[in-house]
Amino acid sequence: MPPESSGAGRSIERASADRIYYTLAAVIGGTVGIYFLVVPVLDLNIAFHFYLMLWITMASAFNVAAGFSGYMPFGFVAFYGVGAFTTAILVKSLGFPVLLALPFSGVAGVILGLLFAPTLRLSGIYFAIVSLALAGICRLVISNMPDHITGGSFGLQLGSRAEPVHSFYVMMAVMLLALGTILWLSRSRLGKALRAVRDDAEAADMMGVNVTRVRLYGWLIAAFFPAVCGGVEAWYTNVVDTETAFNTLTTAKTVIYAVAGGLGTVTGPIVGSVVMVWLDELIWRQFPLLNLLILGVATVMLVLFLPRGIVGTILRRRPEWRRYIP
Amino acid sequence: MSAAIEVHGLRKRFGGLTALDGVELEAHPAEVLGIIGVNGAGKTTLMNCICGIYRADEGRVMIGGRDVTHRTPHEIAHHGVGRTFQIPRVFRKMSLIDNLLVPVLDRDEADPALIERAENTLEHMNLIELRHNFAEELSGGQQKLLEMARMLMPDPTVVMLDEPFAGVHPTLCKFMIERIEAMAAGGKTVLLISHDLTSIYRLSHRVAALNEGRVIAMGSVDEIRSNPAVVEAYLGN
Ligand SMILES: Nc1ncnc2c1ncn2[C@@H]1O[C@H](COP(=O)(O)OP(=O)(O)OP(=O)(O)O)[C@@H](O)[C@H]1O
Ligand SMILES: [Mg+2]
Repeated sequence: MPPESSGAGRSIERASADRIYYTLAAVIGGTVGIYFLVVPVLDLNIAFHFYLMLWITMASAFNVAAGFSGYMPFGFVAFYGVGAFTTAILVKSLGFPVLLALPFSGVAGVILGLLFAPTLRLSGIYFAIVSLALAGICRLVISNMPDHITGGSFGLQLGSRAEPVHSFYVMMAVMLLALGTILWLSRSRLGKALRAVRDDAEAADMMGVNVTRVRLYGWLIAAFFPAVCGGVEAWYTNVVDTETAFNTLTTAKTVIYAVAGGLGTVTGPIVGSVVMVWLDELIWRQFPLLNLLILGVATVMLVLFLPRGIVGTILRRRPEWRRYIP
Repeated sequence: MSAAIEVHGLRKRFGGLTALDGVELEAHPAEVLGIIGVNGAGKTTLMNCICGIYRADEGRVMIGGRDVTHRTPHEIAHHGVGRTFQIPRVFRKMSLIDNLLVPVLDRDEADPALIERAENTLEHMNLIELRHNFAEELSGGQQKLLEMARMLMPDPTVVMLDEPFAGVHPTLCKFMIERIEAMAAGGKTVLLISHDLTSIYRLSHRVAALNEGRVIAMGSVDEIRSNPAVVEAYLGN
């Protein structure tokens, strides 16, 4: 009897697919982990790798909203900015130790996510525009707060300049937590519910899925990590100002990296960030003046020729790999 | 014994248009109730009101003796109501197995047990070979089968099929008819909308004829066939 045609055969096949999946996840995760772990030890470029991890985290969190849930939050930077200011203010004004302040950044992101939750009723371009507008409002609110709290136009100095190595390893921990969460999500029931809602919310509703709740959970996961990233970056650079904390370019890069890799897959935003950040660095070194132009052209080419992103295109060609590559 | 589905005085308006105009309907457990009517008669609207996706303006819907009027669609689904759609609405970028898991996500059963059930259900529907494909990669007829499989996963007591035979090859049609017969034999109440009168007459224990949002006739297949009002609504005058 061919193994596929019987229930017992299928359960053996399922077990072996799972084994391949977990082995792959362990090997790839282990390699990436060890690589970043030794960056400071081998005296490699800490700044480059710090931002690489930051972008991997940002793009992966964005993917939870865009790839898993079907929302395009063009104001994604709002979470990042609010997270940055939360850590900065807690450290500067209230004397929090940084490591204690960072979780509060995440909480601030979640609270902001709750405040924005009514916009989840919108979809497509309407959601995107409203999200963009809300990010603008967040920025305005913070710029209009008293200068002694937010530092005004000069920005807020945290005044406890971190050892870059420390913030590097904290960033690494945040990235691993984000990737672990998203890896779990992609196989979890919540993840399946999210994808179903993304594909057809009404149908999912009629299949017993509590659409509002599922969307909210996905949204809060997507809000938490960029806020923590903002906090870690504030610590790393030791200064926060509204101009950079709410820079639209942050959203743009996040979107580009996630899309370049492939929305809706766990590995896509990772691959996209690695390729694009590396490309960015390479181009910047070779052509300091034309850097943004060339990067823009590269992005256009990528989207034109690989509309599903790198990982998305590979999985399109090899559908059978979908079971092993999350 | 209470009816599996009871609909009383159901009214639904879209702006100036009255799509349902006081529908009265009752279906018994293990009964196949056929619903016929010309295009725009209100058949799909009726299903949408029963499963909660449309909010009825007036009237009541009871499932298994419980009032579910104005309940949300997912609450009604948990009352044991499943359905398919006139134009298939599968979860396009999910594997067939994952499509089937969606209606049972909140069950206490362990994942492997659910996956096994999903595979068995797919096998029943002749879709097992494609289980790892994305739903969007299926043909139209296969998507109809997938919807049926997905609907059956949580073992609903009431199933509503909206045009299951539309655009389906006769061989597959025959296969679907057998499946529907099996559902009723298994104790499910089936609400069946179809323009294919041959299949409706073959499958239904009773038939309701809908016209301009009203049930104009209700009875056995023979009664409906010879009902002058039905003949007139269908063939025009
Ligand atoms: N969402 C909606 N908005 C506005 N009008 C609607 C809506 N849904 C249905 N209608 C109207 O209600 C009437 C009944 O539509 P319905 O879809 O129930 O017909 P039907 O009996 O299923 O027809 P068909 O056999 O063509 O599928 C139609 O006139 C239709 O235009
Ligand atoms: Mg219809």
